[in-house]
Amino acid sequence: MPEIRKPAETRYQAELEALALADDAAHTARPPGWRLSPRAVEAYILGSDAPVSGVEITPKYIGDRAIVQVAIATLASDRALMLVGEPGTAKSWLSEHLAAAISGNSALIVQGTAGTSEEHLKYGWNYALLLAEGPSPRALVPSPVLRAMREGKLARFEEITRTAAEIQDSLISILSEKQIVVPELNEVVSAQRGFNIIGTANTRDRGVNEMSAALKRRFNFVTVPVVEDLEQEIRIVTRREAELRTEYQVGVEAPAELAKLLVTLFQELRAGLTKDGKTKVKPPNAVLSTAEAISVLFNSGILAQQFGSGKVTPEEVSRSLVGAVAKESGEDLAVVREYCETVAKTRGGLWKEFYGAAKAKLS
Amino acid sequence: MDLGLLGRVHLFPVRHHSPRSSAVLAAFLAQVRPSAVLIEGPDDAERLIAPLVDAETRPPVAILGYRTDGPPASSLWPFAAYSPEYVAARWGVEHGAAVAFIDIPVSRCLGTHGDPGPASERGEHGEHGEHGGEDIEEEELVAEAGPPEPAGPDDGRLDVHEACARARGFRSFEEFWEASFEAPAYDVASFRAALLAYADLVRAADRSPLHRARDAYMARAILARIAAGRAPEEIVVVVGAAHAAAFASGDVDLDLIERLPEPVQSEATLIPFSFPRLAEQLGYGAGNRAPQFYQRAHDAGCDYKRATLEVLVEFTEHLRLRGFMASLADTIEAYRLAMSLTALRGKAEPGLDEVREATVATLCRGDATHVDGFLWPSVIGRNVGRVSARIGKNSLQAEFWREIEARRLPRTDSLEPFSLKLNEPVQVATSVFLHRLHVAGVPYAAFVGKQLGTRSGRGRAAPAEEAGGIDALTRVTEAWEAQWTPSTDIALIERIVLGNTLEEVTARVLADRLETARTTEQAADVLLDAVVTGARETVGPALAACDRLAAADDDLPSLAHAASLLSGLVSFRTSRALSSLGDDAIPALCQKTFDRAVLRVRDACTCDDEAMAPVDRGPKRALRRLHDLALAQPLVDKGAWFAAAAALAHSYVVNPTASGLAAGLLYLAQILSDDEIALLVGQRLSDTLEPARAAAFVAGFFEVNALALVKSRPVVAALDAFLGGIDTARFRDALPVLRRAFGGLGPTERRYLLENVLGARRIGAKAKAAQAVLREKDKDALKAMSADLSKAMDDLDDLL
Repeated sequence: MPEIRKPAETRYQAELEALALADDAAHTARPPGWRLSPRAVEAYILGSDAPVSGVEITPKYIGDRAIVQVAIATLASDRALMLVGEPGTAKSWLSEHLAAAISGNSALIVQGTAGTSEEHLKYGWNYALLLAEGPSPRALVPSPVLRAMREGKLARFEEITRTAAEIQDSLISILSEKQIVVPELNEVVSAQRGFNIIGTANTRDRGVNEMSAALKRRFNFVTVPVVEDLEQEIRIVTRREAELRTEYQVGVEAPAELAKLLVTLFQELRAGLTKDGKTKVKPPNAVLSTAEAISVLFNSGILAQQFGSGKVTPEEVSRSLVGAVAKESGEDLAVVREYCETVAKTRGGLWKEFYGAAKAKLS
Repeated sequence: MDLGLLGRVHLFPVRHHSPRSSAVLAAFLAQVRPSAVLIEGPDDAERLIAPLVDAETRPPVAILGYRTDGPPASSLWPFAAYSPEYVAARWGVEHGAAVAFIDIPVSRCLGTHGDPGPASERGEHGEHGEHGGEDIEEEELVAEAGPPEPAGPDDGRLDVHEACARARGFRSFEEFWEASFEAPAYDVASFRAALLAYADLVRAADRSPLHRARDAYMARAILARIAAGRAPEEIVVVVGAAHAAAFASGDVDLDLIERLPEPVQSEATLIPFSFPRLAEQLGYGAGNRAPQFYQRAHDAGCDYKRATLEVLVEFTEHLRLRGFMASLADTIEAYRLAMSLTALRGKAEPGLDEVREATVATLCRGDATHVDGFLWPSVIGRNVGRVSARIGKNSLQAEFWREIEARRLPRTDSLEPFSLKLNEPVQVATSVFLHRLHVAGVPYAAFVGKQLGTRSGRGRAAPAEEAGGIDALTRVTEAWEAQWTPSTDIALIERIVLGNTLEEVTARVLADRLETARTTEQAADVLLDAVVTGARETVGPALAACDRLAAADDDLPSLAHAASLLSGLVSFRTSRALSSLGDDAIPALCQKTFDRAVLRVRDACTCDDEAMAPVDRGPKRALRRLHDLALAQPLVDKGAWFAAAAALAHSYVVNPTASGLAAGLLYLAQILSDDEIALLVGQRLSDTLEPARAAAFVAGFFEVNALALVKSRPVVAALDAFLGGIDTARFRDALPVLRRAFGGLGPTERRYLLENVLGARRIGAKAKAAQAVLREKDKDALKAMSADLSKAMDDLDDLL
């Protein structure tokens, strides 16, 4: 059975190799331990206009170039990188691609949860071996962070603010000493060049486990913004949705106009204001992120293919939409209904059809 | 004339405010050692060169050209320490070279304004006319030249620069400029070549006729110097890059000089300028976005790394002062990150964008709000220039600065709040001074209320709190916010045509206002302003004007307003040391105006609902004012008002809202007794055939003081009977008015109303049970109704 989702370095292997080749050809200096030069990493993330070594470099992240540059410049320094932002703004996505481009390995991940323990961050033991042989390098189970240190790669720490304060504290010493002590083996693992950490944190979770000032000081912060430009978000949504369809091999493509309708709806609800600035809209509590828009569109494609006419219509979109907004409370449904009554109804074209379909679903 | 000679002079292209241009120019001058330095600047302001380079003059300063006839208009040519024109002028004077301005004179520049829009007189737009500088831009052209395109900086022309920047992958023209021209450590030849090449590119895209006419004017001035015997090789010409490119390519049409605007009468002077103003103008010629940052770079000899470090250190300190955590490690990291970004972007030295992004990522932990709140002001700076004492101040400026000094008022270009206690003579005099500036239209201090910090948010005072007006007489403290800006001095210079002292200017402004006053209200406002500004000689004419206008004024609100202002003067005149005004004129006039107003009450209240509707103006406001006056001011004829009000209350001709209001006022003042009011309300409300009129009466009645009215059982009983008696079909017509009347009741009023209704119907005991039933029923009823309603809406949709 094929894997559902391959890591970025596998999917974009050709692009990464082409960029590395171009770096070699130009003798561009790379920071120690890096697979690519900073500029090649930038080109990999943002895409390039012209093919590199004969390979087209597709954009992975569509947005502000300055953000990506700050992120790359940070990773080359002794500070770790913290990507913060609203849910669904492609923080993890960006972190995966940065790790793939810089270290060629995006899989050294610690998933931050309330249950994350120090073992996940440092090392654990294979208890059968530990009992049989006593502490030995063979019995030691290294954490992704420890492996990244040994190999000089980037480790990713997702959702740092979800972990308990003591876990965050132990991260401080890792980041400042760049080594992990294993007293059982009387050994100190020092990080090889190229090691660094990319953290992500969700601004909606602020206060769940607020990071300490000491930990904050070990990071440079990059805020990944919510996309506000309509065309830009449409590009992101359609591109990512197309990738999902290829990966999962289900679904059909939605008409461009429908994608535009969906993204417009998301942006207007998020901003609490219609694009023409004339009508105020009540924003819902649920997060209507770009990621949500992608999943609604993808879901609509599947519905249309499997249960519909094979063509995506406003009917499918409104059905998927209900699932996306009803997450936190029923009130949000009322919000969308209000939006349909005050905004969608007054517009022509697909909006009319959408209004008809959504009205039945929402009431 | 031989245009070819232009190619033989030393042309030096510049951007007007640019440390790199200045640094390279200084090296160039030292190398060429010219005997004449010709600078782009208005040639009729040449006598200002000496004070400009005087050791006592500290940039930023600006040449202010202003009209001395016709409508006020002015234009500015600012200089920072890092402006190449300033550097050139200093070098020339220090080395004994002949220094001259060669651009079109102020008089022609202002002539292009034609009929200047309101904006240009404050210098707001005129400021764009920097340095005459158009350079590449036509920016100044637009500004100096142009009323037709007053918007100035952002129109088409900028697009050429922006388009250029975008094409090279930069986010803005400013970033492009920094990366391409400021940061690289150019030598003289390569800088000139690079800037001329860029100018040529942009010049081709768009140049206005005025711009080209200025090329010609300056070319003629240069050629005249050569014709007079100066060797072209001994001349350095410092002009905007686009002009230089035109000279270099010989693309000059001397005939265009004829097309320059006709000169107007004008003068020029040197005034202090400030960094915040310099940062307000963007674009090639006009200004730049961070004067303080560039000043630092200039001071460090064009070392942008050093400037970056200084900004970061200062910002760190600033954050600490504000109680944020910011360590030296963060500063180091920010600097390092700025450097990495610079390298990653292939720039020679860091610019503002790198500073900003590095600061956000490190010191601000990803949050851009601090940066925009604190960092930006610190790179813009607050510096205010100083002008050598050699340049005479006009008498208004001198008076202004003398008073500022003596009264210790704020003198920086940042907003500073302070408050005055009006029981001290010195502070009253300060208040008079500020009110005079306000009336004279000199932007300096804004009145913000009676006390500091009582306003929510920043901004101007709420409309109810104006600097002048009757409130000004009753205050014991005044809160102000003052900020000196170059506009202050500009206004002082422009106002000199109105008088030689602030008092004269104020008197003149008030006299002009009085002349154009058409209503009693306007005249009374002038009277008040005359009092708060101590303009004694205006008070008499203002009183006369009030009297004259009141005789013919049919407008009740205007009369009522005037009457209450006059009454205020009668009551409070001692607090403003008005003894010299003291005669019986004001009380007499107050009585007269009041009587006139009362006589017009009936006519004014015979109007439609629309005229009656507004609460804060129109007849409603007037009725309340008169009522307050009648109760508070012993001088006026109380009886006349009560009679007029009673007539209103009983009249079925006037607007019923006015009747209700009058009845309410009389009841409150206990002129009408409980019985009388019950009778009156009963009569009014018996009109169940036309419930809308009755409802309007109720609405007016409630507006006065709903609490007092709902507490009265007879009134409520009459109301109850009225509402119960309305024919169902008519009820709908009356509903909107009723909703408005009852909608304004607060919870307390509603409780009294309900209690009295219960009392009137004698169902108090059953009330609780009834309430429960009501609630339950209501729910069902509401449900049923909402179903009906949505069905109706759906039907409507289908129809549509």
